[in-house]
Amino acid sequence: MILARVDGNITSTVCHPTLRGWRLLILQGIDEQGREKGDPVIAIDEHGAGFGDRVFYTTDGSSTREHVGNEHSPLRNMVMGIID
Amino acid sequence: MRLGRVIGRVTLSRQDPAFRGARWLIVSPMSRPQLSRPDEEIVSASASAVVYDDLGAGRGDIIGFVEGAEATAPFDRPTPIDAYNAAIIENLNYQPAN
Repeated sequence: MILARVDGNITSTVCHPTLRGWRLLILQGIDEQGREKGDPVIAIDEHGAGFGDRVFYTTDGSSTREHVGNEHSPLRNMVMGIID
Repeated sequence: MRLGRVIGRVTLSRQDPAFRGARWLIVSPMSRPQLSRPDEEIVSASASAVVYDDLGAGRGDIIGFVEGAEATAPFDRPTPIDAYNAAIIENLNYQPAN
């Protein structure tokens, strides 16, 4: 589980079919003090996280593939929860 | 998945049979400066990747690409691929909160 901040979102029509219908967020990894770590990544989100929200996301591809219900999905990152 | 800009293509005359019909893109990964100014098409300092493409991305496009195990997930049989184009990005809304 990685701590991150929502810095944006993307939309895509021409994409792998398993990406369709998912909100795709741009996440910036941060530390406990909110300092940025590394480059932004894309993650799917079903919790409705918005700009500036702090979230936890998983990089476990196998559980993400299971979650989207397709073993051939190239998705890996998935928002697990929004931090209060 | 990471965001990158297509800055070129690779063509191969001899390749593994598993790659027949594939297109190969040269992709420059986008970090914060590139994401903040997507119209300027700045090439980042990160090493560029050669990315398998079956969506038809062109030069200048921003794509979402995956690396490692996820790059081989879309294939039915084991395929020696490190990076895979999963999405051509249409809209990019980036407003870092700092």
